[in-house]
Amino acid sequence: MKNSILIIIIVPLVILFGWANDGMKLKYLLFIIITASFFSCNDDPDPGPPAPPTGKIVFEFQHLFHNNSVQFDTIRYLNAAGNLMMFTEIQWFISDVTLHYSNGDNYTIKEWKDIHYIDTDIPSTLAWNVFDNIPAGIVDSVTFTFGINEQKNQSFLFVNPPESLMFWPDILGGGYHYLKLNGKWIDNLQRVSPFNFHLGIGQIYDNQGNITGFIQNYFSINPAGPSFNIEQGKTTELIIIMDVDSWFDTPETWDLDYWGGDIMQNQAAMAAACINGKDSFRLSLNID
Amino acid sequence: MLLPGIIFFSCTKNPDVELIPAHKPTPYEITIPFGFPTKLNIPEDNPMTIEGIELGRYLFYDGRISGHADPAKHMSCATCHLQENAFECGIDHPVYINGKTHGVTGIPTPHFMLPLFNQVFNHSGYLWNGFVEVSNSDPMLRNLEALTYMGIIAPHEMNSDTLSAVNAIRAVPGYSELFKKAFGTEEVTIDRMSKAISQFIRTFISANSRFDKYMRGEVQLSPAELSGYVLFVTEEGADCFHCHGGAGNPLFTTHLYYNNGKDSIFNDPRDRFGVTGDPMKRGAYKAPSLRNIEFTAPYMHDGRFRTLDEVIDFYSSGLINSPYIDPLMHHINNDGVQLTPTEKANLKAFLLALSDHDFISNPAFSRPENLP
Ligand code: HEC
Ligand code: HEC
Repeated sequence: MKNSILIIIIVPLVILFGWANDGMKLKYLLFIIITASFFSCNDDPDPGPPAPPTGKIVFEFQHLFHNNSVQFDTIRYLNAAGNLMMFTEIQWFISDVTLHYSNGDNYTIKEWKDIHYIDTDIPSTLAWNVFDNIPAGIVDSVTFTFGINEQKNQSFLFVNPPESLMFWPDILGGGYHYLKLNGKWIDNLQRVSPFNFHLGIGQIYDNQGNITGFIQNYFSINPAGPSFNIEQGKTTELIIIMDVDSWFDTPETWDLDYWGGDIMQNQAAMAAACINGKDSFRLSLNID
Repeated sequence: MLLPGIIFFSCTKNPDVELIPAHKPTPYEITIPFGFPTKLNIPEDNPMTIEGIELGRYLFYDGRISGHADPAKHMSCATCHLQENAFECGIDHPVYINGKTHGVTGIPTPHFMLPLFNQVFNHSGYLWNGFVEVSNSDPMLRNLEALTYMGIIAPHEMNSDTLSAVNAIRAVPGYSELFKKAFGTEEVTIDRMSKAISQFIRTFISANSRFDKYMRGEVQLSPAELSGYVLFVTEEGADCFHCHGGAGNPLFTTHLYYNNGKDSIFNDPRDRFGVTGDPMKRGAYKAPSLRNIEFTAPYMHDGRFRTLDEVIDFYSSGLINSPYIDPLMHHINNDGVQLTPTEKANLKAFLLALSDHDFISNPAFSRPENLP
């Protein structure tokens, strides 16, 4: 222990005088101190059992309409209700991603960050290089939360853009939008009308229009998809597909003319949307 | 045990002290206000230092930076960017009539002004159309540092050149010591001038409005302000927050570009379409922060609205549809969000609660008493 204290004092001094005449490197000093103390405290590490084999996962996100990539900014998509639509952007959160192994084990992605933000305007968000070392093995299925669960979905969870721009006003329940699916449609008066298909915490209103309670609208998804193998030292590429048509078409018909262009304060509309959302996701394996 | 000991002693005995530069600038720490982003836009090659900021403050206020010999043609950043108006020139400016700025030769700026605050949290673009942004093909035009250079050479601003600017500052005896303190040597370069001014601007943090105090639990908002706040953040109300932020985005801007329904004909070559070539972005401009909006009339990139009442009337019932209008303007087919007179008054009360009087009177950002 004495030894380690000495190292804690000495290592930074060595570095300070021998290497870093630059005060800006103080950050690194702190890092080295911590590292040094860590190692020195483990003078005789118990080798223990060998680390279990792990691999890596990359998720890619695709947004399809009738199995083709959504082309944004052009009015060309017809839903089951007969609304002719255009999409301008899709922004959403995925969280609690859990792998279910054939041997009965589960692994929930947790390190680095357990909530991923996807934004069709920001290409870098369309691939998620998961930081975790994923236990090797056969994975039968993957589940995840669409949006953010009640426990985590708290205001000020994200203070930095782009995630912070998803904030859901506190008065309406707080936390973050699960989804912003924006676009326009030709309404029943033949006008081009904007829609903001936004999902998040819903509200219960009394007769006077006062909010008396909130309703969590996030839901768990068990997307159809193949089983796959996480192999030691290899990266598995998985594709999470959002079938945008399915938000409007299955199992119920969701009609923009009926629900209108804004639904954040309309729990009935959000509840209906969430029913349709449950089968709007698929999983596939990228095996270039 | 022995080896580290030796190093330890040899180090303490080593009289290396004179290797440390005599003028080592002192790092400047930004304190993140409640709810604000923690990711700061401070380029690696321009860390903030007390000495850099001090130099930047002098340069920001020094008309000689324009490089013109004739004092009548002197122009500084602060000729247009005035602290009392959150660093806009203001609608009652004696020279820039109705807030319309022009350069030393009288050429008008293509747009009206933008304020300067909370830029250290802006990782997106600068200027109304985001021309200065990370994706600009010219590495010189990617961050705040570009604005000094641009201001000096722009015909509608200082109408000068960087060599004259550098020579003019070099000729001022007092500056060499300030450059040495900030950057280690006395050398005056346009790069160092830009860096210092940018450091100074990055200290402009506005986070002490009544609304901030309310968020921190220090004051209660009035019923009118609170109703206005509810209108601001609800889709069935005035629905401003999707583009202009709120509690969860206390910058009160997304730093993104939208067509907010002012026109049906678009012929400004300097809209967002002019930068990206994306036809959907015709007539789109950055949604400015609504902090300190009380001080920054006239409003919009073309200064078309003189008062907040006019702006609120516009969003209430004056919207103009076009194929380029952003879908977030989802009340467009009702011509706007249709507010009652009381709602308009409440919304305005809330906007006024975003005024940060401490910011516009903070002595650290003010004109220095004496220039070098
Ligand atoms: C002649 C008046 C004038 C002068 C002088 C001037 N500016 Fe500006 N500034 C403007 C105007 C007008 C805009 C908005 C221009 C636009 O976006 O089209 C602006 C915009 C900016 C912005 C962008 C703010 C944002 O949110 O995107 C920055 C930063 C800035 N100026 C910094 C400076 C600096 C630094 C100087 C001194 C080197 C300077 N300006 C000198 C008029 C001026
Ligand atoms: C679709 C996004 C969007 C929405 C919603 C929106 N704005 Fe704006 N706002 C903008 C844009 C973009 C500009 C700048 C447009 C320009 O200059 O041409 C702007 C400008 C302003 C300005 C002038 C800012 C300045 O410095 O000149 C004010 C004030 C303002 N908005 C208030 C509001 C209020 C109040 C609401 C809600 C009733 C609202 N906005 C809703 C996008 C939006």
